[in-house]
Amino acid sequence: MMKCHFSRRSALRGIGVSIALPFLESWVPARSLGLTADSARRLIYLYAPNGKLMSDWLPTSRGSLSELPPLLRGLEPWRQELRVLSGLSLKPAMPAQDGPGDHARAMATFLTGVRPRKTSGADVQAGVSVDQVAASAVGNKTRLPSLELGCEGGKTAGICDNGYSCAYQTNLSWRSPQSPMPKEINPRVVFERLFGRGSDAAAREAASRRDLEHRSILDFVAEDSRFVRKRLGRQDQAKLDEYLTSIREVEARIQRAQPTMAVGAKKLVKPTGVPTDFREHARQLLDLLVVAFQADLTRISTFVLGNDGSNRSYREVDVPEGHHDTSHHGNEVTKLNKLRRINRLHLDQLAYLLGKLAAVREGDQTLLDRSIVVYGSGIRDGDRHDHDDLPVLLVGGGNVLPGHGEHLAYPVGTPLCNLHLSLLEWLGVKGERFGDSTGRLLSLVG
Amino acid sequence: MKRFLIVMLGLAGGVWIVGAGISLYSRDNGQAPNPVASLPDPDLELAEFAGALTHKKQIPGSFQQQAVPFLEHHCVRCHGLVAPKGRITLTFADEAAALAAPALWIKVVQALDSGQMPPPDRPRPDEIEMRSFRTWVLPVVSAAGSRGLPLRRLNRAEYNNTVRDLLGTPLTPADDFPADDTGEGFDNLAQVLSISPTHLESYLSAADTLVESVRADAELWRKLATPPLQDFIPFVSRGVPPERADAVKGLLNVADDPESQARAREIDRSYYALQAFADRSYRRPITHQEMFRLMQFVDQALAAGEGADTGLARAFKAVLVSPHFLFRMELGRPEGSRNNGWTEFELASRLSYFLWSTMPDEELFRLAAKGELSIPAVLNAQIRRMLRDKRSRALAVNFAGQWLQIRSLAETARDPARFPEFDDGLRHAMLHETEELFDHVVRTDRSALDLLLADYTFVNEKLARHYGLTGEMGGEFRQVSLAGTPRAGLLTHASVLTVTAGATRTSPTRRGRWILDNVLGAPPMSPPPGVDTLAKNVEGKLTTRQRFELHRSRADCAVCHARMDALGYGLEQFGPTGGWREHDDDGPVDATGVLPGGVAFHGAQQLRAELARHPDQFVRCLTQKLMIFALGRPVTGADGPALDAIVQHAARQDYRFSSLMIALVRSRPFREFTVPPGENP
Repeated sequence: MMKCHFSRRSALRGIGVSIALPFLESWVPARSLGLTADSARRLIYLYAPNGKLMSDWLPTSRGSLSELPPLLRGLEPWRQELRVLSGLSLKPAMPAQDGPGDHARAMATFLTGVRPRKTSGADVQAGVSVDQVAASAVGNKTRLPSLELGCEGGKTAGICDNGYSCAYQTNLSWRSPQSPMPKEINPRVVFERLFGRGSDAAAREAASRRDLEHRSILDFVAEDSRFVRKRLGRQDQAKLDEYLTSIREVEARIQRAQPTMAVGAKKLVKPTGVPTDFREHARQLLDLLVVAFQADLTRISTFVLGNDGSNRSYREVDVPEGHHDTSHHGNEVTKLNKLRRINRLHLDQLAYLLGKLAAVREGDQTLLDRSIVVYGSGIRDGDRHDHDDLPVLLVGGGNVLPGHGEHLAYPVGTPLCNLHLSLLEWLGVKGERFGDSTGRLLSLVG
Repeated sequence: MKRFLIVMLGLAGGVWIVGAGISLYSRDNGQAPNPVASLPDPDLELAEFAGALTHKKQIPGSFQQQAVPFLEHHCVRCHGLVAPKGRITLTFADEAAALAAPALWIKVVQALDSGQMPPPDRPRPDEIEMRSFRTWVLPVVSAAGSRGLPLRRLNRAEYNNTVRDLLGTPLTPADDFPADDTGEGFDNLAQVLSISPTHLESYLSAADTLVESVRADAELWRKLATPPLQDFIPFVSRGVPPERADAVKGLLNVADDPESQARAREIDRSYYALQAFADRSYRRPITHQEMFRLMQFVDQALAAGEGADTGLARAFKAVLVSPHFLFRMELGRPEGSRNNGWTEFELASRLSYFLWSTMPDEELFRLAAKGELSIPAVLNAQIRRMLRDKRSRALAVNFAGQWLQIRSLAETARDPARFPEFDDGLRHAMLHETEELFDHVVRTDRSALDLLLADYTFVNEKLARHYGLTGEMGGEFRQVSLAGTPRAGLLTHASVLTVTAGATRTSPTRRGRWILDNVLGAPPMSPPPGVDTLAKNVEGKLTTRQRFELHRSRADCAVCHARMDALGYGLEQFGPTGGWREHDDDGPVDATGVLPGGVAFHGAQQLRAELARHPDQFVRCLTQKLMIFALGRPVTGADGPALDAIVQHAARQDYRFSSLMIALVRSRPFREFTVPPGENP
């Protein structure tokens, strides 16, 4: 653009491969050394399943959020940064010829705005998700173009929503209409992906040796695939192309990983596995996410608190029944109370993330100022399975975006994709349409 | 320093330069595989397969007689020439025009079979009409069936099992892979199993971990890094042959000095060790070209002074990330060859991943190499052997666990205040009971109907108490008789009763639906939109039965709920965790149910008796599920004739499990192999 600036990596490359960086609080971002003027923007989508208890969610009036509604009270410290968006809708999730299957469609359309094909086995087809559009535009600046995380894995028995493949209900992020980006739920595995298995000099040397070896292996298997590709039928070629694309992507990641960044292991304890406690699980993953943002390992992320239709029980808040069963509350008071507790538990994780992001300083701003966090569900009321007037929050973005501290009420039926389109623009990604968008959310981008 | 010459000209053209070389192992035997024998089949009356295997010419005029009346009566009102619904027209000028649209007939059969068509407000075709129409349509549909199986990658269970058998490692690295998505109820569907960059990173990292751990174990490493005594793979199935194997190895001009000789021996050892490893990993003979490329890892390591084993380890890793390992690649033959020798190996993999969820063992490989596996008598014997083998436990865990949906016990929740008995121990025992029964039927070759009717089961102390059984029991599972109890067969397993109940109460709808889906093979249509709001505005407390009677207050709901709920009521004597009860929260339990055909019954015992009167229904349903699992693709109307033939065959052998599996493996859908474009099989 106007000014040529160095990325942090090119700066490091100049210093030399052997540099070891202390981490977290003690880590000095390259730009504060005057090496880069890049103020990278980050985008994260947090998905909460099964809708919200809307009576406790919606502010009573539009405009300034003078008082937060009951479910949102935990966000009080960020009231001035918060935007409650109402009226946004997912038309492609509403039942049409495809009949029931609202949970599958809610999740599959939330970031894509494309009606998924109803199929339980062959021909899975959704749309490219907004995070992946963003990742393909800005992701080449970081080692991982995007990071997909979540607290709930796939289904162990394969019956999902009314004739939809479970792929629609377990994946929020889609790289292509046929290829989902699976989320990682194990904090240990995320840690290893981000930071390798150690931080001392020997481990770093081993890592760079391994990178070299991996590149030669990838060359070999890429050749394997090219040789065999022409012998396959068209559908099988498409499957193999997923593999080939993944090879290229991993090759690129290894390239971008030079030089290997070290982690101050003192500051970040390597997780041991998947915690059974929901809070602990979510927080370990969110910690890793914040560190990944901080170390500029990625700038785009999706985080699934639970798959839509999830029937997970939440003993942490004394709800031994399943979330989905509870969300069909039929206005029973005990069920409503349980649902309230689950909703609040999910929102607590948002508050936790915001706290972490706000605590990281980058130059004269915080990481939260440079991030936009969108929190929402593809279903409005779990008891009704509707996709109009969805519960959506937006936090962060500093002063660039208007509307902070406000309830922004859009006409019901405004495509959620209008928000996605605005956020793509905020990231500097050009484009006039996304999903079923009809324009940008005008008041959002000044 | 002497240098070895790696000389190769025109790899693609397959021209090899020959030179002097050494080989410690005598292999390249140049023997061609036996031609696939077609002996008469002692076990199967092939005639009954004729319908499934060949397509008799349509008798002229049969379209007019068998199909047209049916179509006119039931279809063309909506699907005529003028403004056809769904843009599907079922009016044809003549038979030729009708035959020109095979894909359309698949859709028609699916819509009929699933009950989607005719729509609920139209009369159903009666049995005679159906039979007549099917006589015409099924051969048409069968002829339109797909060729070959779609390319599928190993899922997590298959990956773990495969590396266990390949490397002898106890590690299960796939536990850390992204979860496999599921479709049609199973996690091994080709189209649904995708590959992302995260997967690829996981494969690389797993290959590192696996190979390094094997290298650290002297015994395991010795097995892999030492060539086997004999290569049983026919030379021709390795593709374009070099005139001497030394050319592939790059051992062309070896000098006389000891250093060069030692190095040559290392290369030779690595070569045959790698070839054996790659054969087993790719589950077919590795080609000379592929070996040439793989050996470069060894050459480079030697050149860098890292030693042959380091190169070998690197090549092993490359093999474990290769698409030939990660996917079940079915190519039929080596590139450029006209010898279909790989089909036998592909059959071995289809068998082993179906019955064992893992790679073929040595016996299967050897039979494939000799071209004998597809000989009917040999194939039958192998299927029987494989079912008896303990690896067939994979069928209980991976197939039955998903077919019956009991895997979801892991994520099933109950209120501990109301169901204190439902702890992890009981949860595990429930799952184990059903797996044990299935495994017992498989391994001791019982009738498949035992699954539904067995008056015995497998319990440990904990589960026995849950069932109210008396007698000495330990922590171990043992077979017990259920005679004199209300329980028998799957329908009264606590696992099934629990996963089909809600968190606080039973759900006759879910249980009925489960029976329709998994026992009768007659899934209901999808519910209409807005159904969840049904019970919403009803005031006051309702009994379970009253609550469910609401389903019938709307005509569009009633159609299916009459079928589902009425069936589910029959199991009301079993509570939300499968315990016996005579009362529920609302008072005495009423376990009167009605079967789809209108037959009333009371309780599980009578339900079983009714189901046992039509064993074909259950066996057909089981077979259909097995077929999805075996083929990794949805089963469509085009597979109908094959399904029917399998069930008929099994019926003649009292539904012995092996007869079912043999007929399935020998059916056309299982035996369709990819034929390269433009070639005849």
